[in-house]
This record gives sequence, C-alpha cells and structure tokens, in this order.
Amino acid sequence: MRIVNPTFGVSASGGETVAVKPVDWRADPIALFSNSKPNARELLEGIRARLADLRPVDNITFVHKNSASQGAPAELIEQVAANYRGALLAIAD
Amino acid sequence: MKDTPETELIDIPDVDAEAWNELALEHGWGDGMPLAIPTQAAVDKFVAVCRGDNEPFAPVSPRQVVPTLGSLAANAVMAGCKPDYFPVVLAALRAVLTPNYNLHGTLATTHPCAPMLLVSGPIRQTLDINCGSNCFGQGWRANATIGRALQLILLNVGGAKPGLMDRATHGSPAKYAYCFGENEEESPWTPYHVRRGFAAGDSVVTAMAGEAPHNINDHGSTSGEGIMTTIENTIAQSGANTIYGKGPYVLVLGPEHAETLHRDGWTIEGMQNRLFERARVHVSRVSKENQESYAGSDHVPVNDYYKIAPTPDDIHILVAGGAGKHSAWIPSFGGTAVPSVRIAGG
Repeated sequence: MRIVNPTFGVSASGGETVAVKPVDWRADPIALFSNSKPNARELLEGIRARLADLRPVDNITFVHKNSASQGAPAELIEQVAANYRGALLAIAD
Repeated sequence: MKDTPETELIDIPDVDAEAWNELALEHGWGDGMPLAIPTQAAVDKFVAVCRGDNEPFAPVSPRQVVPTLGSLAANAVMAGCKPDYFPVVLAALRAVLTPNYNLHGTLATTHPCAPMLLVSGPIRQTLDINCGSNCFGQGWRANATIGRALQLILLNVGGAKPGLMDRATHGSPAKYAYCFGENEEESPWTPYHVRRGFAAGDSVVTAMAGEAPHNINDHGSTSGEGIMTTIENTIAQSGANTIYGKGPYVLVLGPEHAETLHRDGWTIEGMQNRLFERARVHVSRVSKENQESYAGSDHVPVNDYYKIAPTPDDIHILVAGGAGKHSAWIPSFGGTAVPSVRIAGG
C-alpha cells in the first residue's frame, strides 16, 4: 500500500554547516539571554553570581527580547552572535 | 516512536483500519483519535480540487519545512475531510502562517491557545459549516474535520508535538478542532468579513490563537445596556492572557443577545469602544507581584484600571450560535493577530 507522508516538507534552511571555534567558558564573553518571562532576570542573575566563583564576569552581560510571547528579532540574535562567544538562555516559565 | 522516511510517498504493508491506526500512532502522526488512511488515490482527489492554487507556502513552524499540496492533503484525508473542504484548510493554513499571527510562539507556548477558525461567506452553506446551535460543539463533519486537519498539519508538518515542541501546561480540548461559521443570516450587522474589506460574495477564513470559548450567560437583561454590562464584566478577568493588554480577543454574540443590542441602537463600533473602555480590571484584583511585572513591560493601570485590549479595533465582534441567552468571548494568546484569508474558489 502506498500512502502520502503526512510529515513531508522541504527544509527551509540551506542546511549549511558553520565551523565554530570552541567556546572557552572560563574567559570568553557570554550573553545571559532572557525570554522576558517573570523571574528570568533573577534566574540569570543567580547564574552570573555562581559564575563569579569560577571566572571573571565583567564580560558576562544580560540581554533580553522585548516580548515574552514573540521570538527574538533577527537583529538581536545577530548582535549576540557578533559580540559574544556563548549564550545562556532562560526559557519556558 | 518510529522514524518516518523523508520521502513524500511511503510504501507500507497492506493494513486494515485498526492496523493503520496502530501504525500511525507508532509514528506519532495522530491526535489520539482514529485516522483515515492517506492513500495516494485519496490524496490525489484532494489535490485535484486545488490545482491552480500555486501560491507557495511559507515554512511551517517549529520544524520550518515547506509543505507540498500532497502532504497537506494527506493530513486533511487523515482528519476525515471531504475533498471540497480542502481549500478551506489551505486558507486556514495561510492565515496562521501570516507573520504577525506568530505561529511559532502560539505553538510552543505554555498557554492553552488553539487556532480558532472562523468561516464567513457563502461556502458556509455549500459545505454545511455549522454557524448556529452548538456551533463550537460536536456533530458537524465540516467543522470537526477542517479544524482537525489544520491541527494535524501543525503536528505532522510543523512538528508541534505535545510535550516536546508544544509546551502547553494543560492544552485544551480546542486543540482537537476549533472551527465554526459566522451566523450571517441572524446577524443584524454587516458580516464580519465584509467589515474587514472582503466582498460579501467572498468566502473567508479568519484565524486567531485563542482559548476555548468562555460563556457569557445573561438571561435576565432585557436591554442592550444590561447585556453590555454583563459582557464587559465577564471579559474583565485578571487570569486571562488579555490582562497583559497586548492582544486581540473575539466576542461571539448569540443571535438573541445580538437582536436586543441592535434594537437598542448598538453598533459594532459602539460596542468595541464600550468594551475598550469598560472591560477593564481594577488594580485591587491584580497581585502586587503581577503589578510590578506588568510595569516592567510598560503595561500600567489608567485611573486604577488595567485595560485589556490594545485598541478598540483589537476587539473582534460577530454573531454565531443558535437560540438562547448566551454569548461567548475568546481571549487570545496575546502576542498574535487575527488574519483573514480569502478561500480560493470559495
């Protein structure tokens, strides 16, 4: 029996791979990215405080999107990619 | 869960209905209820109805894949649609793919929103879409299967798997199917789609990421003023996403409430303005913590009240349902819009 695949679709992305330099989590700039839900900032502040025991934190900064219900704009993602070597995201509620 | 091949056509063993459903569930293709088999022959009948609808589809979130007419038709077949329903399903998909509908956010959220589909225009009668008594409920094939087909597309093509990419805390029965028609015949006002700029002879699907309908019971009021008082106080809820004041909502007036409101001179614009001003929540009904949270996103009370719609135009009013002193309001997810799309050939 032949059926039509109900999940079939063509990938919208080009599928290209990008060579990424390994992140040095002990020294590299890191973004703490908030999804703008209540308490996300407090959660990320706690992570920054814990990281202070392990590494310098003057290059660990907070970033947030403007709406909890909308995706982050492409410009913001590009800005984070350009300025940081890694990002820790607060997701969900 | 079994992996699904990445080809558009799949050869499976000859199966009866029971074995088919087991196979479909093993692949994660279903919503838990029985599914029809999307044989190539069945799918071809659906695709034939939409030949000529060549406008490409945007990628479907969250998987971000571009569907084919065949894979969309497969889901409509599985949902139990008739081929003639397929143009409505495609228009519904185009509506939720409108960028400001925010499909990804509405599928991935913890909020229990589902894609509410409102059908307006002549196709309601051609396809026997229920616009009257029990229009949100069971019993009409078109309502049930058109709504279900869109949900299956979002599940199978979009990849919004419950518990994985669909992160709803509770979800909603509306996630099985959420489609109804406007009761234009018993509405004293201009049909909704005409107010949105379509021709009366057009058939149109309107979508909103909404909660299941909330009932508004008013058996006692015999005046428009009385009914509006009940409506505005029912909508003024501190626990709905509308409290953030950043999204639309739909008010579905039952024909009896609509008749009384119209008799007493209420216009659509007048009701929108009244609800914008008076469907509001006093600060005493909002916790201090939430007040601080809302202030952080620039949503502050005006004269000690939180408004719950951004503008009067974000309040969408129409007539549907049958006899009885009930209306309904449908709060949205919030960060979404209410796009309307003309049904090709409808």
